[in-house]
Amino acid sequence: MGSFILRRVLYMIPTVFLVSIVTFIIIQLPPGDYLDTLAAEMGEAGVDNTAVVEQLREQYGLGQPMYLQYWKWMTGILLEGDFGISFEKNVPVTDVIWDRLGWTFAISILTLIFIWIVALPIGIYSAVRKYSVGDYIATLLGFIGLAVPNFLLALVMMYVAFKYFGQSVGGLVSPEYLDQPWSWAKFGNLLQHIWMPVFVVGTSGAAALIRIMRANLLDELYRPYVVTARAKGMSEFQLLLRYPVRVALNPFISTIGWILPTLVSGEIIVAVVMNLPTTGPLLLRALLVQDMYLAGSLILIVSMLTVIGTLLSDVLLAWVDPRIRYQ
Amino acid sequence: MLRMRNMTTLASVIALAVSGQAFAWEEAPQLAQQVADGKLPPVDERLPADPLVMDLIEGPGEYGGTLRRAILGGGDQHNMVRTIGSDNMVRWSPDWTEVRPNIAKSWTVSDDASKFTFTLREGMKWSDGAPFTVDDIMFWFEDVFSDPTLTPNKDATFVGPNGPVQVTKIDDVTVEFDFGAPNGLFLQALAYGFGYHPTAYPKHYLSQFMPKYNADIQALVEAEPAAGDWVQLFNLKAGPMDTPLFWQNPDRPTLHAWHLTNAYGTTDRVVAERNPYYYKVDSEGQQLPYIDRITYDQVEDVETILLKAFNGEIDYMLRHIGRPSNKAALTDNMERGKYRFFDVGDLPANIMILMMNLNHTDPVKREVINNKDFRIGVSHAMNRQEIIDLLYFGAGQPAQTAPREGTELYKEEYAKQFTAYDPDLANEYLDKVLPEKDDEGFRLGPDGERFTLIYLVADVFGLQYPDAMELIAGYARDVGLDFQIRTTDRSRLIELHTSNDFDAYLWNCSGGQADAYTSPICYVPTISNSVSWARSWAQWGVDPATGEEPPQAVKDIFETYKQVRAAATPDEQKALMQQVLDMASEQFFTIGMVQNDPVFGIARNNVRNVPDPLPIAGQLWFPAPYTAQMYFEGGANLP
Repeated sequence: MGSFILRRVLYMIPTVFLVSIVTFIIIQLPPGDYLDTLAAEMGEAGVDNTAVVEQLREQYGLGQPMYLQYWKWMTGILLEGDFGISFEKNVPVTDVIWDRLGWTFAISILTLIFIWIVALPIGIYSAVRKYSVGDYIATLLGFIGLAVPNFLLALVMMYVAFKYFGQSVGGLVSPEYLDQPWSWAKFGNLLQHIWMPVFVVGTSGAAALIRIMRANLLDELYRPYVVTARAKGMSEFQLLLRYPVRVALNPFISTIGWILPTLVSGEIIVAVVMNLPTTGPLLLRALLVQDMYLAGSLILIVSMLTVIGTLLSDVLLAWVDPRIRYQ
Repeated sequence: MLRMRNMTTLASVIALAVSGQAFAWEEAPQLAQQVADGKLPPVDERLPADPLVMDLIEGPGEYGGTLRRAILGGGDQHNMVRTIGSDNMVRWSPDWTEVRPNIAKSWTVSDDASKFTFTLREGMKWSDGAPFTVDDIMFWFEDVFSDPTLTPNKDATFVGPNGPVQVTKIDDVTVEFDFGAPNGLFLQALAYGFGYHPTAYPKHYLSQFMPKYNADIQALVEAEPAAGDWVQLFNLKAGPMDTPLFWQNPDRPTLHAWHLTNAYGTTDRVVAERNPYYYKVDSEGQQLPYIDRITYDQVEDVETILLKAFNGEIDYMLRHIGRPSNKAALTDNMERGKYRFFDVGDLPANIMILMMNLNHTDPVKREVINNKDFRIGVSHAMNRQEIIDLLYFGAGQPAQTAPREGTELYKEEYAKQFTAYDPDLANEYLDKVLPEKDDEGFRLGPDGERFTLIYLVADVFGLQYPDAMELIAGYARDVGLDFQIRTTDRSRLIELHTSNDFDAYLWNCSGGQADAYTSPICYVPTISNSVSWARSWAQWGVDPATGEEPPQAVKDIFETYKQVRAAATPDEQKALMQQVLDMASEQFFTIGMVQNDPVFGIARNNVRNVPDPLPIAGQLWFPAPYTAQMYFEGGANLP
């Protein structure tokens, strides 16, 4: 086990390194740079400011070759924990992202819990009561959950909340709490809002897990060891939870690894639509305006978390399931 | 009518100032409390000796309330620029017809319009309470504007026919701007957005970022992670107003009615609090602004702003939501959101123009595009009314690129020539230029190849250009022209047209109202980031050693526009500008498609003193000079 973890950790280093290079190149691929975006924005003022833009190009060091920019960025991160400056916000990237990463984590973890709470019992139920009315309903809802795009679900829910409940939609707290310090009232207000993104983002994940749980459990339910246990007179419920469910649990654990990247990158549209203060909209905006260090740092951090998440879920899996070999 | 009646203005200001002495100034309860607590000097000491008595839209108001708005997470600095940023030496009247005193209480102009002498208000203060004097303007002129490292290229507002302005201090409240040659449009330009420069550089704060004033500058540079040397540090602390930089430094004192308390872009909400030293009062002697603070809630998506408006969470806004496509939904929710509409005169010369490259590098395309008959043919081939009906719900008129009806430069033939949809007539004109056709019915160029123009199009301004371009290409096909569509993004498009590497593209153009004088970019070839239709001629116009010599007719336009700039009186300016427009219209440089109807904004039912209609334009950063006088009836936001 120890050497397994060590080997996996060593693999992570070149992976993250490669990701950082690819990230940096992809961000620079589109023509132009942040200054072109700024120039276009400044055009709104009705007068041309080409001169000012050229001056700023110098300010941001955008004239340098790409490998030099990468080198500076990487050494800054490794030696000083400095992820560079956000062009658009003119503050260090680290000042911008931690708040948002925090919210992203909070919503991710809540979503993960939501998915488990929903998918586990329903998955078990629809496997045990295969082809019952309940199974069909769960299957139907599951397929709908898988098929409906998240952002559409978000829009519909926002419309319903707006139209029929008169709720202030979008964001995680109502406007009156925005710049207030944390209090119980604000926390309560947060709870009123946060279930919506959790539900929207979690639905498709839960639907997928229900299907996987059902299939895995069905494989196990008719195994000889189940028959044996039943023949020995074990109660049906205890039997179910102690043996086949435990074996079928694998996908729940391997989910941990990919829930985070899904949330950060896959659900950008939901976050934009629902106006969530997560990393998604920040990343989208950074990519659109080519705010390269901000975008690069976000992708790098998310990749690192994904790699760590995958490691965690692999270790957990190996620990839970003795059949997995450390190869 | 454009009138700058210096003497009458001066007289009325003096009259107001004298009568002003009779007032005991009044202040917001919020500030009175701070005075009582000893945190703030009394209002008489905060106001200048002769504050500006604002001409109010409706009448005196009452204090209180928060003006709630929404702002996009990035690139939306003009949201703040246009609500609090534009407060210059002089300002345009609310109907955009006359230049009036603002920070400068009066001015005189030399007979040849080359020297402008401004008188400031004695005892005026920055938002942090430090005195604002001519020394601040001199700091801007000597240490910022005249420093080639900080200002490598001068803003056109402050460059006359003979080069950059010379600013001289006469005394603490009198300052002279001397261009050395007639520059009759200077006051107009100073009233527009970019006239902010002289009054935006507080010496007491910004001088610390210059080695000239601060020997220990290196310590400040090292403390700032985003700066590598003092120039970068200075640019960071004293950024231009139309970039995010200005709005990311809340420490920089201003002369605006509200002052930012946190930086734009890094929080969920940007808050601007009342400036206790603001220099304007109402006719009852109450210090402006009436409204306590402005909040900008950060949103990620324009649609979210609409939802907030429906919910009554937006008090005054036209930006992002004032589009014809939103009108129906906003009307449906008026009662719920408790708001009303006001008209917005966002009336450029044209909102959709076929810009064809008259200076094309390919001789064949150039020859065809430069043939006026070709352009007339294309113009007649366009079914403008259909575009208006399909894309803009019928809101707009078919028109060329021209001043708007009702403005002083308007002439019907400018706007309406060649706008009739008539494919037969179009074919007649095109047959004169490109008579031959290939098997598929497309016209052949003089070189015997199919004549193709590639149109660049970007999805900008919310005007559905890509959809419009499909229709345009269809109309062109009907008369045998091959218009290819290249959809691209805004910055790429700008890069291509500014490097003269394009056939044609779709864009809008300013110059529909009074801005035709200072921004005639579609009437006179100009080097510009937004439009290019004759870039090489424009370069020649700036410096005949560069670019390419234009035909005599275009040279005449350059010459006449020079005379407009040199003319000293508004009447002369108008007569000459009309000549420029006559010539430009005769040349028919660009093919205009649509002049839009006025758009709209929303104000909650108890927001008063709202300019209606409100003119806005690229350079006219409205309603900023008039937000200070807006107020909530009842002194608070509607529930």
